[in-house]
Amino acid sequence: MTTIYIDGDEFTLENGEHINAIQAAARFGIEIPYYCWHPALSVVANCRMCEVEVGSRDPKTGEIRMLPKLVPACQTPAKDQTVLVTKSPKVLEHRRMIMELLLLNHPLDCPVCDQAGECGLQDFSYDHGRAEHRFVETRNVNPRKDVSDQIQLNSDRCIMCTRCVRFTREITRTGELQVMRRGEHAEIGVFPDHELDNPLAGNVVDICPVGALLDKDFLHKQRVWFLSKHNSICTGCSTGCNITVEENKGAAWRHKPRYNPHVNDYWICDEGRRGYKVANDPELLDATYVLEDGDHRATPIDQAIAAVSRNLALIAREGGKIAAIVSPFLTVEEAYLLCKYIKTISPSSVLALGPVPRSGEDATWLPDKSQGRTGDVSFVVCRPFTIRAEKCPNRRGVEEIVRHFQGEVIDYASIAARIGGGEFQAAYVTSNAPEPAFDESTAATIRRGVSFLVVQDTRVTPLANQADVVLAGGTYAEKAGCYVNHDGRLQFAEAALPPREGVLPDLDLFAILLERGAGPIRSSEVLAELAAEIDVFAVAAGGRLPEFGATIGGAEPNGTAPKNGSVYEQLYQDPWAGARR
Amino acid sequence: MRLDDPCIKKLEPPKLNVFERTYLPQILDGLAVTGRHILGVLRGESITIEYPEQPHRPSPNYRGVHRLNKDEQGRVKCVACMLCATACPVHCIDIIGATAPENWSDREKYPESFVIDELRCIFCGMCEEACPVDAVELTSFYDLTGLSREEMIFDKTKLLSVYDLTKEAEPSRMGNLTTF
Repeated sequence: MTTIYIDGDEFTLENGEHINAIQAAARFGIEIPYYCWHPALSVVANCRMCEVEVGSRDPKTGEIRMLPKLVPACQTPAKDQTVLVTKSPKVLEHRRMIMELLLLNHPLDCPVCDQAGECGLQDFSYDHGRAEHRFVETRNVNPRKDVSDQIQLNSDRCIMCTRCVRFTREITRTGELQVMRRGEHAEIGVFPDHELDNPLAGNVVDICPVGALLDKDFLHKQRVWFLSKHNSICTGCSTGCNITVEENKGAAWRHKPRYNPHVNDYWICDEGRRGYKVANDPELLDATYVLEDGDHRATPIDQAIAAVSRNLALIAREGGKIAAIVSPFLTVEEAYLLCKYIKTISPSSVLALGPVPRSGEDATWLPDKSQGRTGDVSFVVCRPFTIRAEKCPNRRGVEEIVRHFQGEVIDYASIAARIGGGEFQAAYVTSNAPEPAFDESTAATIRRGVSFLVVQDTRVTPLANQADVVLAGGTYAEKAGCYVNHDGRLQFAEAALPPREGVLPDLDLFAILLERGAGPIRSSEVLAELAAEIDVFAVAAGGRLPEFGATIGGAEPNGTAPKNGSVYEQLYQDPWAGARR
Repeated sequence: MRLDDPCIKKLEPPKLNVFERTYLPQILDGLAVTGRHILGVLRGESITIEYPEQPHRPSPNYRGVHRLNKDEQGRVKCVACMLCATACPVHCIDIIGATAPENWSDREKYPESFVIDELRCIFCGMCEEACPVDAVELTSFYDLTGLSREEMIFDKTKLLSVYDLTKEAEPSRMGNLTTF
C-alpha cells in the first residue's frame, strides 16, 4: 500500500502501481495541468506546466523534506511517502509564468482556430494564466503548411510539446515528424517527400493540445461547441474501436477516439475517422419500397411491414421454407429479434450469416518500451492496436445468436448456393453494409431461387432492385445497440442521429414484425431479454454493460487489459477535451 | 448569491411627508408636463413628425437591420468564427464557414454563406457585441418590410448590400480593423 500526501491530505493507492504524480493526483480529483505528458508516450517533461513542489516524508519521524526546486509531476513517481504541493503560491506563480511563456508567440486567432473550445491553451490560460500580454516584440509568424494531404500544421500555434513527434516515433514507429531548428525557431516538420501518411496519422490531431495540427477534413466546418458527442463504436472493422460520433444539425461531422484499454487504447485509424461519411451519404435509401406491377413504389412503413408479415406467414402456412441472411452489420439485439421472428413464423426456416467483407491483412502496431522511445518510459503501458481485415463490426455476435437459435452457423456462400438451388420459397436478406455486399449475379441467383424476397438495407443495391419489399434500415449512427468485436468484447454504441425521414431503425422494424406492442423499443430491453435467454451473453444481464464493455462467454480476454482497480481502468481524456468544469 | 453578501447595497424607498402622501404634487407635476407640451404645440414645437414624408432619425445606438461590413479591398470582413451565432439568443444566424481563397493572405477562413433570419431576430445586438472583427453591425434601418417570409431571410449578398447603402451615413464605429 502506498501513502502519498497531496496538499496536506493523506491518500492511499491500493495496489502499488507505478504511476506518476499527475495520475495519482487525478485519481483523487486534484488536477495538475499538463500539455506534453500523455499516458501512452514516454515522458519528456518539456512543457514544464505540471511542475509542483515535491518532497518526501520520513515515516518514522514524520519529518518532511521538500526538494528546493519545482519538479515536473509527470516525471515524479507516486511512491510511498511522496509529498506533493500543487496549490502553493510558488506553484501558481510558476504556472502563470509558463503560460505567459507559451503564449509569447502564440497568435490570438482563437476565433478562426478549429481547436477553440477544446484547447489546452485556452483552458489553462483561463485557469492559470494572466489576462495581459507583456511581450512588446513582434511575434514569430510561421506560415501554415501541410504535413500530409489530410493534416495541416499551423506552426505558429505550436507549443513544442512534441506529443505528435513522439507518437510517430513510439506508437507507429514511422518517425515522419520531427522538431526542426532550435530554440525560438524550433518548429515541427516533415522531410520533403516523406509526408505523414501512416494509417494512424489522424491521431496526431487528437493528441495535439493546441490548434497546430488540424484535420483538413473537418477544417473550418464547425465550431466544436456546437457538436453533441455520442459514445459509439466504429463499425469499420471487427476491432470495434470506441469512438465519439460528433453531430450537429442532423449530420455527423467527425469521429474522435474514446479510450478503451481493452480494445483501441487511445487511438483510431484514419479509415475509421472518415467512417462518419457513411451516415451523411445522400444516396442512402430514403423510403420503404414495395414491388407493384413490376415497379418499386415508395410505400408507408406500416403497409410494407404488413406485406412482409402477410406473405411470409402465407408461405410458412403452405409449408414453404424461409431463409434469413443475418448481416454482420446488425447489432446483437437486431440479430436476436430477426432470428426470433423468422423462427417464430416457421421453425423449419434456416438462418445464415451474411457476407463478411474482408480486405487486406490484419495490421497491428505493437509499441514497446525500447523502440523509438526518447524519454522516461517507466510509466508507459504498451498496448497493441490492430486494424482488422474483417470489415464488419459484429460477425462474432451474429454467429453466437444464430448458433443459439439453430445450433450451427451456415456461412453465406452455402446459403446462397442453397437459395439458388431452389430450396427456399422466401428469403429475408439484411445487409446495412457501407459497400454493396451483393453483386448483380448473386442478386439474380437469389431472386431466381425464391418467390418472395425481402431486402433490408441502407442503400440501393443490385439485390434491392430485385426485391419484392425493400425495407430501409438505419446506418450505424441511427441505431443504438451492442456489437461483439473480434476478441469477443460486447460493447454498446449509442444512436447519434435521429433516423432519416421515412425510415425506422432496424430494431423497430423487427419489433413491429414480432408484434411486440406499441411504443418504440429500447435496445437495453432486448439486451436484457437475450442475456437472460442466451448463456454466452450473460455478462449483459439486466441490459447493462460496464463502460469499457464486457467479454462474452467463451471468449478469451485479449491479454492487454489493465489490472483491476488500476488507473488505466478509468476513462482517460485530455483535460481540455472534455466539457469545462 | 448570498443574502448577507457585503457587496449588496440595500436601498430604501424615500419617505414621503404628509403633503406628498396626498399625491397632489405628483399629479401637478404630471399636469405641468402635459401643459408644457400643449403650449409647445401652440408655439409650433411639435413632438411628433409627419412620417413617412419626414424621415425619423433614430439615435446613433439604435439597433435596426444588420449589415455585413466590407474591408478596404471590398471583401467581406467576417472570418466565419460563428461567435455571433453562438451569442445569438434566438439562433437566427446561420453561417457556413470555408477555407479562405489562396490569395487572401491575411486570413484563413471566410463565410461561404451567412444568413440572418430577420423575422426571428430580436435585435438585441449580441452579435455585434460578440464579433471579434466588427463585421456584423446593426444599422439604423428600422422600416423593414417584406412580402414573404423568404424575402426576410437575408443572405450574404443582401447583408453586404445593406453595408453599401449605409456606409456613408453610418461609418463603421470601430474603423477598419481586419486582424485580431
